[in-house]
Amino acid sequence: MHIAHLWSLRLGFSSKQAATIEQMGLKSFLQRSFNHQTDTSIPDFIQDEPHTLAELKEVREKIKDADEKEKKKMLKKQIMNHQELKKWWLDQMINEAFPLREKMIVFWHNHFVSSAQKVKVNYWIFQHHQVLRAHAFGNFKTLTKKIIQTNAMVRYLDNVDNKVGAINENLSRELLELFTLGIGNYTEQDIKEGAKALAGLNLGETSAEYRKRQEVNESITYLGKKGGFKADDLVDIIFEQPAIPYLITRKILQWFLYDQPDETLVKTYGDYFRSQNFEIQPLLTKMFTEAYEKNISGTKIKDPLLYILQLTDALQVKPLQKEVVLGFLRQQGMDLFNPPNVKGWIGGNAWLSSQVYLQRNKASDLLCSGKSLRLKGIKNDDEVEFEISPIDISLDWNHQAKPNEIIRDLADRFLFQTSEEIQKDMEQILKYDFDPKSENAEASVLRLFNYITKTPEFQIL
Amino acid sequence: MNRRNFLNLTGTLTGGLWILPDFLYAFGQSRSLYSSDNCLVFIQLNGGNDGLNTFIPYGNSFYYQSRPNIAIPEKDIFGKYKGMGFHPALKDFEDILQNGHLSIVQNVGYPHPNRSHFRSQEIWQTASASQEYLTHGWLGRYLDLHSTEHQPTAAINLDSIDNLALKGEEPNSITIKDPTKFKTATETEINYQVSGNPQLDFVRKIAQSITEGSEDIQNALQQSDDAFEYPKSSLSKNLQWIARLIKGNLHSKVYYTSQNGYDTHDNQLNTHQNKLSELNDAVYHFYKDLKQAQLLDRVTLVIFSEFGRRVKDNGNGTDHGTAAPLFIIGGGNKGTIIGPNPNLSDLDEGDLKFEIDFRSVYATLLKNQLDFDPTRIGIQEEIITSLF
Repeated sequence: MHIAHLWSLRLGFSSKQAATIEQMGLKSFLQRSFNHQTDTSIPDFIQDEPHTLAELKEVREKIKDADEKEKKKMLKKQIMNHQELKKWWLDQMINEAFPLREKMIVFWHNHFVSSAQKVKVNYWIFQHHQVLRAHAFGNFKTLTKKIIQTNAMVRYLDNVDNKVGAINENLSRELLELFTLGIGNYTEQDIKEGAKALAGLNLGETSAEYRKRQEVNESITYLGKKGGFKADDLVDIIFEQPAIPYLITRKILQWFLYDQPDETLVKTYGDYFRSQNFEIQPLLTKMFTEAYEKNISGTKIKDPLLYILQLTDALQVKPLQKEVVLGFLRQQGMDLFNPPNVKGWIGGNAWLSSQVYLQRNKASDLLCSGKSLRLKGIKNDDEVEFEISPIDISLDWNHQAKPNEIIRDLADRFLFQTSEEIQKDMEQILKYDFDPKSENAEASVLRLFNYITKTPEFQIL
Repeated sequence: MNRRNFLNLTGTLTGGLWILPDFLYAFGQSRSLYSSDNCLVFIQLNGGNDGLNTFIPYGNSFYYQSRPNIAIPEKDIFGKYKGMGFHPALKDFEDILQNGHLSIVQNVGYPHPNRSHFRSQEIWQTASASQEYLTHGWLGRYLDLHSTEHQPTAAINLDSIDNLALKGEEPNSITIKDPTKFKTATETEINYQVSGNPQLDFVRKIAQSITEGSEDIQNALQQSDDAFEYPKSSLSKNLQWIARLIKGNLHSKVYYTSQNGYDTHDNQLNTHQNKLSELNDAVYHFYKDLKQAQLLDRVTLVIFSEFGRRVKDNGNGTDHGTAAPLFIIGGGNKGTIIGPNPNLSDLDEGDLKFEIDFRSVYATLLKNQLDFDPTRIGIQEEIITSLF
């Protein structure tokens, strides 16, 4: 595979950035990606939603008092706005000139998990997302402090129920187990004590706030330290622990580079991360430039998001119906804003089952034949209908080239490696006397592409 | 889009979740919809089989004059009849002919022949005219109209790549790469290629375990066995599996497979001998297998290539040509030789002029074997009445 294409896929969602990476080199590309401004404005469909706790309460009351029909209508609006939020994010993934931030947000959103299904308030989900957006390339410690004090998080991990006299350990536990140190690096007692420090951290206007009457104000012992601690103090103490850099470093390596990273890499990059004070940019720069030098490939199974966005980009699908992309993601087990549980998507081999693989092939068959699903409408208030409809597709290939050059070009762009078997098959599809000027040439090259997408090699990066 | 598929695409918003239809046919329902149990089996000889050295006009002196280096001596030819006979490698075709189960359609081709492998295969696979470009295969178009709903096992392609002939509007065919690796419930863990890359090994393993309609195929495999032994070639293995699926009542209408290696520009005598031997052995075992299972009348085997080869040899081989004989076995064919012997003295730029359009053969297969009106998929050529 051509190295710029490989890295465009790794640092984004398609081959779109290959030319830029080739042109400016990886280091400058990373720098531009870090500096690239992100849109912080609040989209209309979120502006519409209740923001303050008072507004929220008002809407709740309204729904409670409304008749069946009105109730349904109001709930549907929330569902539609949630769908809009997903489309809004997908749109940025597809259209950002430097999509690395989006890729990093997907990572964080799968690390600091909060599911819309449980949180239910679109505005809180959006706030949580905005924290990830703002700190995606920032400082891991700062991000940890911010994120555990979002409304979405205190709601999702039940800290709203964590009060003096009724301690709930959920947030305290996941803070140690899943967000920072990982199992084996703390005790059950630390969780219990941490929960006391977090007691009373409840819903607030712009972020979570401590409520005086729910707090526990006593001295605790947390990871060996004694004092009257609150959320920020817990995070400070956690980040003094020897084990702190490794869990997150391993996950970043897994997200971008290796399904099964070597533990020596985890150690090396983890130590470096700590030496950089948990600043994310230098860590990413070091990881990426070194892997680029080593020219690693074939180490990761593509997640559904990368799979479908690469496919629709390669085919220049028009119009691209985001509902259909979202539906595909959902069926492939990668529903945005809705990970299966607090651990998030496991990734790696777990992405692929025979059912999932078959579905990928079917999606490719459908798109390569110039068809897709289209949202037809909503029937009886709550049934969405889809139909198959024609779409425009256009694959980029050199119409002046010889068949073996076309094969090589496609393989360079889409397969991390080929094999003798694949080469033979491709030459069978595009025989040496194939005429690129013939009327059916487009369809023939599409058949070749379709074949490529169904190989095991295409599933891997 | 038919009604059944359409209904499957209806989702619901209930519960606050957008339930999308399956994307798309992954759980495709499938069952036999066919009243008639006839089926067609195709062997596509890739590369352009030299018809003149396959079914040989030994009685025509032009044959020996044109091919000083690669003509087959008269004494070696099998099943001589009216100046024609088989290449010695096809010794068992004579037996099939004697039994009245083989018909040979001579000089099959099309007007304005194209000598590019790529294009000529496309013409054969889409049943288009030489200047016409179609995106769907002729069998794919048939399956679209014939199947009342998406039926993944309506056609089975045993090959490493999809075949354009089977491509239609709806995915009514599946490609099975390597049937010997197809996992059956009773057989042990499949072997997959070990690459040294754990990710790749994992995906390859999954790739081998997936075939849409695999449940139907599993059932068919369980209802049949491989007790009837075949030779070791991959064509033999493919035909053995096709026979198993037919014997196991899979009810597919079309089976398709191919054999490579017929592009004999050089070293033709050896290469052709080997390829035809492989073909002979595979076909003869398939024939005996089906005959023993009393299924021969239901199954029509068609052997064809994208073109024949030049009348004159080029030294040790032959270049791309045009018309060639096409073989039909089983299906209650009349066991005759159809059409005049190749005319070696009236050539078109050194190539044979075709006598029978390949689309006439297709029309006859559709009409007589599958009870389907060929004009519905745009095939207007006349039916060959002497075939079945």
